[in-house]
Amino acid sequence: MTKSLFYSIIFHTMMIFLTALSLPFMTREPISLPPIVSVELIQITDKTNIPFAPKARKIIDKVKEEEKRVVSEQAPPSAKAKEKPDRIPLPNDKKEKKEIIKKKQNPEEIKPQIRQSSEFEKEELINTNEIAALIDKAKEERALKELENKKLTQSNVKNNFATGLSLSEEDALRAQIFGCWSVPLGLPYDKDLLVRLKLELKKDGTILKSEIVDHQRMNMPGQKFYKILAESALRAVRLCQPLKVPPTGYEKWKNIQLNFDPTEMLKG
Amino acid sequence: MKFNKNLRNIFLILFATLALSACSTAKKSQTSGDVYTGSDTVEYLASGVKDRVFFATNKSSLTSASRETLRKQATYLRKNKKLNVTVEGHADERGTREFNLALGERRANAVKDYLMTYGISGKRISVISYGKERPVNSESTPLAWSQNRRSVTVKVK
Amino acid sequence: MKKLIFLLFIYLNSFSLSNALIKVDITRGNLDPLPIAVSPLHVEKSSENLEKLDTKKLGVNISAIIEKNFKSTGLFNPLKKEAFVQKPDIAHLKPRFEDWRLIKAQALVTGKLSVKNNKLKVEFRLWDLTASKEMIALSFTTTPSNWRRVAHIISDKIYERLTGEAGYFDTRIIYVAESGPKNQRVKKLAIMDQDGAKTKYLTLGNELVLTPRFNPSNQMVTYLSYFRNLPRVYLLDIETGKQEVVGNFPGMTFAPRFSPDGKKIIMSFAKDGNSDIFTMDLETRVVERITEHSSIDTSPSYSPDGKYICFNSDRSGLQQIYVMKSDGTNVKRITFGNGIYGTPVWSPRGDLIAFTKVRKGRFYIGVMRSDGSGERLLTENFYQEAPSWSPNGRVLVFYRETKSGAQGKGFSAKLWSIDITGYNERKIKTETDASDPSWSSLLSK
Repeated sequence: MTKSLFYSIIFHTMMIFLTALSLPFMTREPISLPPIVSVELIQITDKTNIPFAPKARKIIDKVKEEEKRVVSEQAPPSAKAKEKPDRIPLPNDKKEKKEIIKKKQNPEEIKPQIRQSSEFEKEELINTNEIAALIDKAKEERALKELENKKLTQSNVKNNFATGLSLSEEDALRAQIFGCWSVPLGLPYDKDLLVRLKLELKKDGTILKSEIVDHQRMNMPGQKFYKILAESALRAVRLCQPLKVPPTGYEKWKNIQLNFDPTEMLKG
Repeated sequence: MKFNKNLRNIFLILFATLALSACSTAKKSQTSGDVYTGSDTVEYLASGVKDRVFFATNKSSLTSASRETLRKQATYLRKNKKLNVTVEGHADERGTREFNLALGERRANAVKDYLMTYGISGKRISVISYGKERPVNSESTPLAWSQNRRSVTVKVK
Repeated sequence: MKKLIFLLFIYLNSFSLSNALIKVDITRGNLDPLPIAVSPLHVEKSSENLEKLDTKKLGVNISAIIEKNFKSTGLFNPLKKEAFVQKPDIAHLKPRFEDWRLIKAQALVTGKLSVKNNKLKVEFRLWDLTASKEMIALSFTTTPSNWRRVAHIISDKIYERLTGEAGYFDTRIIYVAESGPKNQRVKKLAIMDQDGAKTKYLTLGNELVLTPRFNPSNQMVTYLSYFRNLPRVYLLDIETGKQEVVGNFPGMTFAPRFSPDGKKIIMSFAKDGNSDIFTMDLETRVVERITEHSSIDTSPSYSPDGKYICFNSDRSGLQQIYVMKSDGTNVKRITFGNGIYGTPVWSPRGDLIAFTKVRKGRFYIGVMRSDGSGERLLTENFYQEAPSWSPNGRVLVFYRETKSGAQGKGFSAKLWSIDITGYNERKIKTETDASDPSWSSLLSK
């Protein structure tokens, strides 16, 4: 340590000395530098194209504040301490401890009873097909045909302002429903998620009648998510009513169809 | 004249380098690359025989300093024929647990292999990897990590 | 604050001339948690005054657990009980929908509890308040000590009915409970309910234990133990406590997981500094080599159909994720981004792989499709790893170490969960420090 300090002092003084000595030369005639090679700097983005999923800090904070400590309410500590198995025995000492542990935590004890209860689960008391029953066959067929043509009509036909809602009227309605529609997050985003909802409105914008155009899909096997989605659309319009409709032109918008499609949203 | 100037410049650079290196030893740098070169955590199997060697991040190759340490260990083991050792491989905390277990094993084996090339029977050396489970320095600093990337030769009692 | 998700493209509404029907496309909605009212369970008169059993409290506790479960998803917003307008018993028969709508609830859970012959019967109904109808009604009978599971099962049923996917409340998490200073950390296997309740310790902490994982039926756990200083993969029967070494390997075995059918354990075996992947059939005890490469091959995880394995290898020089057929053929590298990748875990739905990524000294938990495309990083921190999937493939649990004090000498390790959308990151309460979580499948299938 002292040695290197000693060296350091010597070399430092030397350097200062030399610098003082040589700097004037350098200013006059610099050390022959290698020729400058020009390098083109290409900006490579620091981040790869990885979208960072947004965080819902606000929800978390909100939730944290309100979180109730349910855990502490039950399970008195004495009972809990008793429950803790000492240790899972290794093969050598398994005989002694086997039984104790069996008592202490044994999911098997729980299972039969829970399984029994699954019989009760079938006591589903309501008929979820109500909506389906309301609609006649003819409409179904027409709906299917429309489905085939859907893509064409949706992408190619531009708005006709003369007979429809004006752009601002439509935006107002859309914005209103955006706010009411809680999108179920468990939907498979790689499936067709278009829900077409036909409404018959009163003059004040309240709903007289509502029907799901592709209602038959709601009860198809493997399409359970569609029912959930359709229900969420129905909830949205009911929650929103009275809908923000223009004050005039009732005949134009008396019947209106809302096409709910969360695909873009769920993918994004 | 020109030659003279060049010579002077060369001298200048030389001195400057020396002066700077003196400076850095004074500050006591303990890593080279990112391999730990200090001896703060090192213990000794016997006088002058260090018990451990250090590694660069994600690497299991031995540096020349490590090889020197291991040659001394080999000499020591040759002298003490009845002594068996366990080589413990360790990793720093900056990796995933399972991968670090494999990395520690690789480091321990690098040491074992080297000792074997110096005539120590493989039967006398067992290896174990602790991954990042047993750091020697619990801090979260580059220095601590370099001290934790190690293989330690431990006498079996 | 509305968290409306704005789209880049808002479709122009289409207008069909043929039937002159106005059509408006609704392509976005809100992700606000659904306001839901969970009415306390109504306790039947005959069960009110029982010895040894406070049924009133039981009813309150069950509904409190349901509420807590809902809140933890970030998808529901359980409303405050003070605002409730109807008594539990009457609401359970037929709620006055307009009253509940008044407090802005969109769904209502009501229930009834009774105890007969030492059997607990819980009945519940879920009501759609905007449509004024019942959505689901079920009842469960069990022993009173099982009340927590009943609460979780009810939560699962309601979650499924409202979101369209299976729930994950009636599940457990096995993890490593940690204590002590970092250089002599004591680690024990611990198991708890998904919500952090009912913690039980399965080992004493005499030896180092790591990376426990459930088998598909949740009765067995495979993990790494340093018992007698020999790091080996062990198998533990949670019911009997029986414990055994898996296979007869002459060196360290680690990174174990079960195959989706539960018949095999896949793991790494390290020999002479080289780690390769092996399987062992638990019935026949046949050991099979899956990879043979001079690099480190570890952290294997099966696809849910058992046909593929994703794993971690440094054969390209740095740690990356690879996918191969389950017989070890057709090895393909799937990660090419900057940084290193580890701990791949195939989602129970089969579409995604969760992973840990380390880049520029930061650790990320992320998901990508099983071909490596569509990488999304969900959360970033100084140190975190080891994601494990909820049985419905919606939530990941992982562990994170947070540093404190000068040079980060003080630290704590906790379990965290996050939705695969990147929303709803939250800490899971554990009695001790915790790491290496593994989520069980649904206990009641």
